[in-house]
Amino acid sequence: MHTTFYLRRLHSLCGLLVLGFFIIEHMITNSVAMAGPEIFNQVMGMVEEIPKPVFYAIEIGMYAIPILFHGIYGIYIALQAKNNPERFGYIRNWNFTLQRWTAWYLVVFLIWHVGYLRIYIKGITGTPMSFELLQNMFQNPIVTILYVLGMWAAIFHFCNGITTFCMTWGITKGPRSQNVISAISMMMCAGLCVLTVAFMASYFVY
Amino acid sequence: MPDKVRFIIERQDGPNEKPYTQEFDVDYRPGLNVVAALMEIQKNPVTVDGKKVAPVTWECNCLEKVCGACMMVINGKARQACCALVDEIKQPIHLAPARTFPVIRDLLIDRSVMFESLKKIQGWVELDGSWDVKDAPIQNPYTAQTAYEISHCMTCGCCLEACPNVGPQSDFIGPAPTVQAYLFNLHPLGKFDAPKRLNALMEKGGITSCGNSQNCVEVCPKSIKLTTYLAQLNRDVNKQALRNMFNF
Repeated sequence: MHTTFYLRRLHSLCGLLVLGFFIIEHMITNSVAMAGPEIFNQVMGMVEEIPKPVFYAIEIGMYAIPILFHGIYGIYIALQAKNNPERFGYIRNWNFTLQRWTAWYLVVFLIWHVGYLRIYIKGITGTPMSFELLQNMFQNPIVTILYVLGMWAAIFHFCNGITTFCMTWGITKGPRSQNVISAISMMMCAGLCVLTVAFMASYFVY
Repeated sequence: MPDKVRFIIERQDGPNEKPYTQEFDVDYRPGLNVVAALMEIQKNPVTVDGKKVAPVTWECNCLEKVCGACMMVINGKARQACCALVDEIKQPIHLAPARTFPVIRDLLIDRSVMFESLKKIQGWVELDGSWDVKDAPIQNPYTAQTAYEISHCMTCGCCLEACPNVGPQSDFIGPAPTVQAYLFNLHPLGKFDAPKRLNALMEKGGITSCGNSQNCVEVCPKSIKLTTYLAQLNRDVNKQALRNMFNF
């Protein structure tokens, strides 16, 4: 009964609450890089000290499953749209289109990002995450650019997601409240994008 | 002031035929609109190359933006041809059928899908009799203005043509039929069937297929605040889902 309804609402909740929390957590952890290699590696070491069963439970239950669900069902949603910003160039329609373009980029980016860093480097070769490892990886400017774009895509997708979440759940009803939330979330988007550049720069400063 | 107006029309001889374009010149006159120009082309269907062709087919009816029949894509935007004044739009004027709907011929489209959607959401009020005027239930004066606004919907299909989530790739019924559910939920008798309509909107292709691109509210020729009512309906279906789950 009403499977589509519950799947869509779950997709929305999962994106905003679970993945939103994940993005914020990721931004905070990555920002530690600005404090320099020693402190960054110390924090990475703290992550390693979380008991393995707890760590895997969080990783699978809070990250892997929600991302896979949001991603796979999201692909199905994106395929329902025929983006038309060239005909209807309104700002919300551009955001709608960007929401889908960033989604496509993120599908590819996350397969690469998680597949290489988490599964290959950390999982298969057993190398722990460290400032030097990432610094080495970002020596390649193409990798750096693709990573910055990946983070910008995730940030935009999340921030625009806040605006549409409020519409989908009927929290913001009229255009005025919708515009206020949209302005706040886009300011947050700009702020997080700048923060991304700041902590990425630290790999080139230290 | 140019004495000729150039029309570039996307034509199609039948539902499964290949589209092609033809250009026509129409004598300019003050106040000329797209429907009037199409009538001129019908009288003398000769292209700019001097070739006599079959007259362009389109649909129109009231000629005062009330019936919705003459909706087509004019310079890329879905709108009513009868109120598209030549003086106010860019020339040459491009006309195309609204391809969100099946094309029957030239600019003539089959919009019956919207009526099927209105059946799905129960876009009517169930009656089992009639009242004397003094006994009839009254419209809520606080929501009457909203109901009046939504009742202006003429099922023209502009919002469906503009919506990126409506089309052959999706089963979304579109903004117009969805928002009609709210109109009938506001009605003093229609409200008794509100759970039925809200449950219908929770089905596949219902309100959850809305992607918040908000093109609908931008193109609605009757300025219906579609996105506001879609958000209200989102609220209502969420409450309905809770009622369904906990049986209250």
